[in-house]
Amino acid sequence: MCLLHLPGRNGGINIKFNQFKMMFLAQLKLTLREKQAWFWGIFFPVILMVIFMVIFSGNSDEEFKTEVAVVDPSPNPASEMMLSQISELPVFEVKSGKPVTRDKAEEWVKNQKVDAAIILPESAEASSVILVVNKENEQGAAAQAVSGILNKFVQQANLLAAGAAPKYNLQYESITSGTNELDYTDFLLTGMIALSIAQGGMFGMVDMVEMRRKGLIKRLRMTPANMGIFGLSDMVMRLLFSIVQIILLSLIGVLVFGANLYINPLTLIIVFLIGALSFNSLGYFFSSFSKTTEAYMGVANICSFLMMFLSGVFFPIETMPEWIQPISAVLPLTYFADGLRESMVYETGLATASLWAGIAVMVIWGAVTFLLGSVLYKRKAIAADR
Amino acid sequence: MTVLEVRNLQKSFGSIKAVQDISFSVHAGEVFTIIGPNGAGKTTTLEMIEGLVSPDNGVIHFGELDWNKHAVSIKKKIGVQPQSSAMFDLLTPEENLNLFASFYDHARPAEEILEIVNLTDHRKNHVKKLSGGQRQRLAIGLALISDPEIIFLDEPTTGLDPQARRNIWDIILHLKELGKTTILTTHYMEEAEKLSDRVCIVDQGNIITLDTPSALIEKLTNEREIRLSFLDGEKAAEDADGFSKELPSVSKTEREGAALKIWASKPEETLLDLFKFTKEKSYGVEQVSIREMSLEDVFIAFTGKEWRD
Repeated sequence: MCLLHLPGRNGGINIKFNQFKMMFLAQLKLTLREKQAWFWGIFFPVILMVIFMVIFSGNSDEEFKTEVAVVDPSPNPASEMMLSQISELPVFEVKSGKPVTRDKAEEWVKNQKVDAAIILPESAEASSVILVVNKENEQGAAAQAVSGILNKFVQQANLLAAGAAPKYNLQYESITSGTNELDYTDFLLTGMIALSIAQGGMFGMVDMVEMRRKGLIKRLRMTPANMGIFGLSDMVMRLLFSIVQIILLSLIGVLVFGANLYINPLTLIIVFLIGALSFNSLGYFFSSFSKTTEAYMGVANICSFLMMFLSGVFFPIETMPEWIQPISAVLPLTYFADGLRESMVYETGLATASLWAGIAVMVIWGAVTFLLGSVLYKRKAIAADR
Repeated sequence: MTVLEVRNLQKSFGSIKAVQDISFSVHAGEVFTIIGPNGAGKTTTLEMIEGLVSPDNGVIHFGELDWNKHAVSIKKKIGVQPQSSAMFDLLTPEENLNLFASFYDHARPAEEILEIVNLTDHRKNHVKKLSGGQRQRLAIGLALISDPEIIFLDEPTTGLDPQARRNIWDIILHLKELGKTTILTTHYMEEAEKLSDRVCIVDQGNIITLDTPSALIEKLTNEREIRLSFLDGEKAAEDADGFSKELPSVSKTEREGAALKIWASKPEETLLDLFKFTKEKSYGVEQVSIREMSLEDVFIAFTGKEWRD
């Protein structure tokens, strides 16, 4: 402080710095003491993320398996060969490990102890394999799958019997556009970070409505306080809060759910700043036309809900009906979530056209809502004077 | 010395003329009170002087300074306690004062202000836990933080209990001792009478009258209301009514049954004459009273309206 205390013009800078410091400290205390801020900013996103991660990524390792009974009425070379092949198929688990009588197998099917019973041919000549399933489960996934697998199995057996080798086979591979692979945990983690920062901006500006309603803005205008510095300190506070959100959610994602992050810091900083500022503008715009906090919260809730489900936070946009996808394509959260994925999971550098296209969409949203908000505030300042 | 001069202020909101034509000047060190019923234009007048609302017409001068050219200098000179005691509810009184202090180049220490507004014991509590009176005192404290020359207090005691109101009166009287100029609005007559050096009565956006409280009452003292009621019923009252109408100092009488009201500019003389008359006629007088005048009467006399708190 003493170093900054210079005479003349610099005295003004000193006062402005002190004003910023005091206003920032006040904002910090207000945020820390506001229980709502803690709940919606920290607790809610964490809980939401944990719930989604537990529900949707918990059983992704589990493979499809079904229990069947095998009946081998009169063992012969053909049936023996089939039996050994069936036992080796990973999707089938043969109950009790060996063939049983047909009566026993049918009883198990009736009691739903097994999903199906496979009755092997009685001789090399009798070429039919019988599949017994419970009528109640006939259309069930397990019965369909067993019949499909068995069908393919019989076809191959036929080909083998005819002495032909299969010519085509199917290989399954998944690819992504990035250098690193994205699994659901990473997808959800980055989506949740985007959502909580977006909500911080959209809901956070409720303070403005409250301050205006209580006459606090008017009160500050009666002092020589610099309102620009006041706005700046508010903004810095919000950005800091968002950084806390990123770190907290990332830590939980990585440490508890094993998410893999490959961060490009420069891209992350740019995407984060643009995104956070544009969602704050959106909140500022809401506050400019909301007379009460209830009205503000209503608008913010509708927007946040729409974006939550239409912007690919929880599920990729491609999984949604095609007619909804154009809506997603204009929402800022779509690009914010994408940008965070690019910078936190794919390690994308700044020289990417699609990244800048997304940033441009966010900038447009931010700029337009900020200007609209400012115009509404100015116009209302006259009416609000009374 | 005049510290504030206001000439021909006018302000309309749509079709409502909130302030029609208000002019006055305030001297250094005085408590200047604007009094009037709700909707009289007090707050609008004050907000124009405080620079929050720009007047449709009229001039506001703080000595050499005016809002168009010297807004920041004026803001440093004045301290305002608005009607809505707006402050940061989740901060403590001390934190609120320190924050407001940072807006000015020269501010008084928060401890000093806490002392003046008697909140030292509560300086560490969040504002939202304070009582109405404590909040109001803090609002006055915030107006004092820059050590202003002129202090505006907009209905500082409205909605407070009598004790809390008295506490605020003490603060205002203390500010006067410190040589500050205070511009106060209220709709409590008692308060205006007790605190003010000069009172300005406002109704429907116009100044009705402006003077010291005693001079205002004085203006009416040559005419007081005498009330009599007669033991002998209507006939006696009727006779006395007829008699007093002939007296030179009586301007008006009103009779209701056996009760008689007489407005007289020399009430003692009128009473003497009346008693002579009743003794002559041997009418028994049950009750006699002369009503003391207050600002309330001044208000009623000037506006012709009943006063409501």
